[in-house]
Amino acid sequence: MKRPPRILGLVRGSSYDALTEQHSKAEARAGRLAQQLEETKADSRGWKGKTEEATSALKKAQDAAATAQKQLRQAEKQRDEQSRNARKLKDESDKLRKLQEARAAELALLKQRLAESERDLIVAREQLMAIEVKLDILEGAANVLDGRTRDIATRRSGGVGTESGSAV
Amino acid sequence: MAALSDAGIGTPARSPALSIVLTGRNDDHGVDFRTRFFRTLRFNAEQLAAQGIAHEFVFVEWAPPPERPRLVDLVFDAVPGLEPGRCAWYVVDGRYHQALSLNPRLAYHEFIAKNVGIRRARGRFVLTSNCDVFLGRAVLDVFASGRLEPRLVYRAQRYDLKENVGEEGVAWADLEDPQNLARPPRALTLPFMAGATGDFLLVDRESLHQVRGFNEIYRAARFGIDRNFLVKAISSGLSIVDIGGPVYHVDHTGSYHLTADEYAGREHEAPWGNRGWHSRGVSYVNPPTWGLQHAPTQRVAPGQWHLDFSWDAVPPMVDLKGVVLPASRVGRPSPGRYTATRAPARSR
Amino acid sequence: MMPVGTASVPYLTIIATGRNDDFGGDFNGRFFRALHFNHRQLAAAGIAHEFVFVEWRPIDKRPLLASLLADEFAGLSSLALRSYVVDPEYHEAFSLNPRLQFQEFIAKNVGLRRARGEFVLTTNTDIYFSRGVIARLQEATLEPGVLYRAARHDLMSDLDVSDIDWDLLEDERNCEVVNGIRPPLFTNASGDFLLLDRQTSDRLRGFNEVYRVAKIHIDGNYCMKAYTSGVRIVDIGAPVYHVGRGTLHAMRGMYSGRPGDAPWGDVRWKSDVVYENGDGWGLGLAPERVIDRGTTFLAFDWQAVGPMVDLQRVVSPGAPQERAL
Repeated sequence: MKRPPRILGLVRGSSYDALTEQHSKAEARAGRLAQQLEETKADSRGWKGKTEEATSALKKAQDAAATAQKQLRQAEKQRDEQSRNARKLKDESDKLRKLQEARAAELALLKQRLAESERDLIVAREQLMAIEVKLDILEGAANVLDGRTRDIATRRSGGVGTESGSAV
Repeated sequence: MAALSDAGIGTPARSPALSIVLTGRNDDHGVDFRTRFFRTLRFNAEQLAAQGIAHEFVFVEWAPPPERPRLVDLVFDAVPGLEPGRCAWYVVDGRYHQALSLNPRLAYHEFIAKNVGIRRARGRFVLTSNCDVFLGRAVLDVFASGRLEPRLVYRAQRYDLKENVGEEGVAWADLEDPQNLARPPRALTLPFMAGATGDFLLVDRESLHQVRGFNEIYRAARFGIDRNFLVKAISSGLSIVDIGGPVYHVDHTGSYHLTADEYAGREHEAPWGNRGWHSRGVSYVNPPTWGLQHAPTQRVAPGQWHLDFSWDAVPPMVDLKGVVLPASRVGRPSPGRYTATRAPARSR
Repeated sequence: MMPVGTASVPYLTIIATGRNDDFGGDFNGRFFRALHFNHRQLAAAGIAHEFVFVEWRPIDKRPLLASLLADEFAGLSSLALRSYVVDPEYHEAFSLNPRLQFQEFIAKNVGLRRARGEFVLTTNTDIYFSRGVIARLQEATLEPGVLYRAARHDLMSDLDVSDIDWDLLEDERNCEVVNGIRPPLFTNASGDFLLLDRQTSDRLRGFNEVYRVAKIHIDGNYCMKAYTSGVRIVDIGAPVYHVGRGTLHAMRGMYSGRPGDAPWGDVRWKSDVVYENGDGWGLGLAPERVIDRGTTFLAFDWQAVGPMVDLQRVVSPGAPQERAL
């Protein structure tokens, strides 16, 4: 069979059927596509929403990150400051500890010197006691001898004995 | 340690367990020295005999006044119960007093006199005391029990009784009645147990010879010489203990306690010398001839001797090396004590 | 207890010197007390010992201290106590400083040269050995080639020492000064305790007899001599005791402005230099004769006196191989 000329616009029935079937299929497909499109659109809307959500979330996250970063920077800043403070405190603590050690050493030295001085004082006092007792004896002896000498001198000159008495 | 009893002691020549060294003279010291002395001696001699305690009295009559009877010539009549065999009497020539004097105000060298007695005592233990000190019951009990030990200085608390106590005769009731106390007794405190020290010092003879008696180096005062003995004792490693009972002393005119303040402001005139000398701080080393070792001694009667004068027996006037610092010994108390002199140190 | 040494070869010779001159007050009394004490302790520890006493320049018209010593210690045999009396002419012959009244260290050399003990200890007449020193000697573990030193504890001057025992010596309340000793030379009162074996002592040839212008620091100089001769110097680990700080200490202040006038010589002399004594050290060539039990007299003879000046015997300290001679 020869194909009707397309110039009449006439189609065969089989072709029409085929076309109709094609058309139905196409319509079905279009329907499906439209549905898919709708679904896709819906998906797309969903995804858009999600995108928007994600975008929003992203923005939020970005904001949060920015905030966190800001906070981190602040925290770092604080950390640095505290670190400096800690070092400062440690330095001061070290200084204080050295000062305390020095004072403890000084105190120990002072205690030792005090003990030595006390010891020296005891020794000096004991020696002083011995010296004073010796002086007493010497003074007594000198006075007794003085008395005896006066007696002798007095007797030699023909006078009376003194109150301190005679030697023998 | 054997008891100090008479059991088994046959003759007076045998060494007694206890010598009691006293000194004095017939000079009315404290107004009625003779009366007080005889009364006390009578009491003590009776109590010692009653307890059977083997003893001798060693009496040193130092520089007795020549114009008066000597105590040795009066005592056996005044104290009939006193056994001559238990007595050794030493009369010391008066020239020793001047020869030894470093202070003309000192009328009596009590402790040099006691050294004369200590040196010649024969007892295993030697008690130096004074002529008006009554031995207490607890003291007598210790003598009788034989609990005395060597290397100890025994001390006893002195109870001072009122002046009129025992005027008519002394009994335990008089001595032990708390109403008769003139003042609260002074406690004996470690380590020195000082206080009326010269009234009771009991030591074994060997230790006394080791320390050579009382201080003969310092003769410018007699106050504090007994206290100074305690310093010497601790420095020499002896310990001081309380014998466990008192002795008694009746107050009398002229006793130190009653006259101490008479010389306030004029200490240099006091008959006991400078009270403030360092009797608590220094010690001494007597020469080996302490106690007039080389005095020519004449036996004038049984149990009676006269120490004639000789310069050979007189120690050097000044012997500064005999002034020493007391030595501390591990585990024992410090023997010396520094105190600033509390009276003018110089006599005039 | 095992005895240490024998009477004929004692473990220890103790050398001291002096004379009857009352030096420092009651010199004899102090000497005898210390000697009695030390002898008692050594005997109780079973340490065979001899004392060698050298009387230098005895005082005319006074009893010899050697004689008084023999009387005081009559119970000791002549093996245990030997005395050497040195003719007074030696003092003048040796003198390079008329202010020195007593040549302590030449006298000690006389004793060192004649010692018989395995070990010799030079000390002084008023030194008391401590319990630790006695214990160390008793152990008999002293080493040859070692110079032993001991710190001197000075007890208070004027202390009552009429009855000395360990309790008194060891009580810190009685101690006035501890003369500490430190490496390498351990000087400081060294003359009071120098202990070493006799062979080494002979090798060193005693104290400096070349420099005789001072006697102060001669003991420290000996420590330097020992040290530079390769002798190890150690602290024996226990003290010795001395009553008082000594005459030198008591008089030192008097000469602070004029040290050259001091009776011990000028303190400023360079005691770090070393010396080599001659063969005749310690009066080795002096004629000897026995004058009493245990007492030998060293008669004067110029042969026993070395040259007045012998500069080659003064050497610098330093490693032994670098020394002159």
